[in-house]
Amino acid sequence: MTKLTPGERALADCYEQLKAALQEHADELPPFAARNARKALAALWQVANGLDLDPGQLYDSGV
Amino acid sequence: MGETPYWNPRHETMPRVELESLQVRKLRTLLAWAAEQVPWHAKRLADAGVSPGDVSSLEDLRRLPFMTREEWMEGQLAHPPFGPILAAPEEAAIRYHMTSGTTGRTPIRVLDSMKDWEWIAEMWCYGLWGFGVRPRDRVFVAFGYATFIGFWGLHYASEKLGCLTLPGGAMTTEQRVRTIVDMEATVVASTPTYALRMAQEAKALGIDLANGPVERLILSGEPAGSIPATKALIEDLWGAKAADTAGMTELGTIMMFECSEQPGGAHVIEDHYIEEVIDPGSGEPVPYGEQGERVVTSFGRGFIPVIRYRTRDFVLKQPGSNCPCGRTFDLYEGGIRGRVDDMKLVRGTNVYPRAVEAIVREHPEIDEFQIRLYTAEGIRDEIEVLAEVTEGDAVAILEQLGKELAGSHEGLRFGVRRADAGTLPRFELKAQRVLDEREVIGGEGERRQT
Repeated sequence: MTKLTPGERALADCYEQLKAALQEHADELPPFAARNARKALAALWQVANGLDLDPGQLYDSGV
Repeated sequence: MGETPYWNPRHETMPRVELESLQVRKLRTLLAWAAEQVPWHAKRLADAGVSPGDVSSLEDLRRLPFMTREEWMEGQLAHPPFGPILAAPEEAAIRYHMTSGTTGRTPIRVLDSMKDWEWIAEMWCYGLWGFGVRPRDRVFVAFGYATFIGFWGLHYASEKLGCLTLPGGAMTTEQRVRTIVDMEATVVASTPTYALRMAQEAKALGIDLANGPVERLILSGEPAGSIPATKALIEDLWGAKAADTAGMTELGTIMMFECSEQPGGAHVIEDHYIEEVIDPGSGEPVPYGEQGERVVTSFGRGFIPVIRYRTRDFVLKQPGSNCPCGRTFDLYEGGIRGRVDDMKLVRGTNVYPRAVEAIVREHPEIDEFQIRLYTAEGIRDEIEVLAEVTEGDAVAILEQLGKELAGSHEGLRFGVRRADAGTLPRFELKAQRVLDEREVIGGEGERRQT
């Protein structure tokens, strides 16, 4: 597994937190928040993937 | 981190052993995803006796069946419109595209999600960044922005990099040339053929492109981006460096790019793909330095898993260490060298359009050309090259061209004729310069192959 720098670790944490936020709260969020969060998650997935964190798929979250 | 020539430094300079270990891990994940989500893939893996967990080395890849365009199209016909290969519900898609390929009777239709589109752009970022494109650049995209996937990914990659992106859709060639100059574009993306076309237009307009703002050209869509004579001509006309890239609708994006060292080939993006090179007849792998057909497995596009896809592209793989850039990613020397299906058999001699173009482009006086095959006297295959010669002694140029073509094709006689300026077709995407009008297809002794 890749050894992460502090900056990379912070981004990996962001990815996990954002993913969890959408999984748990997507239905409660107003459209602007839900859709922008999905857009951000799609971009953060590239970071997690580029860091070899095996980020899985996001189709269930509509991403 | 300061300025780096790599988009993903860790992966692009990763020792081969680690890189292959990463590929094996991603392959297992891909196979598990495909088997779980796509019954069509699950059956193919089961028929081959492969379980995703069994895969422990790249050698195991050879146990997997090849995937072909024909199967893909048949699947679409049987289960329209997308076939049985989607791994995610259609509702998760945000975009539809289709291939404009030069072969096949049915287009391949694809869907991608939001994440997939970020990934598509990500692949282009490897290429743009690797060729020196930076946020300060102004990127003009000479592209029609329609259902052909083409440069869509490059557009988003340019935005992702922070470049000022200049979309060049729905414009005449003159409008494009004027916009490039007026907006001081430093990077232009187009097919090689269209780069030449824009240069011709600029000349007609009295615009000196070679002393203009453009520093880099990103070429894609045709093999010509790695034909040395064509590339040299483009670089000369534009006064800029040109990089070859190659992609496919089936993957959604590019899988190789030329770095700023311009090593005469393109690096495979090996942290996102496995690229095998095989003998197209036997299906067996060929070693470094030997031409074969590329077979691709993609880790990135989850919506449509692509596993051991027979591309029909000819390539010649070399180790990444042949390039001084420091990347460990393998190189395809000369980029895409042609299509397995492109070869024409003329009186027993193999003729590849790319090889003909390489010779024609050594004559910068020729603006445009076309290769025509026809049947003479009802029985004999003939080949001729029609050329628009706009400068110099046309008779002498064409005579010399005829000699060069014969000399590089085992003495095969090429007819060489002059075409009036502006009469041959021009192309924006995927130039089709071969006109095969022969009457007999196949037959005894397979005297013709189309």
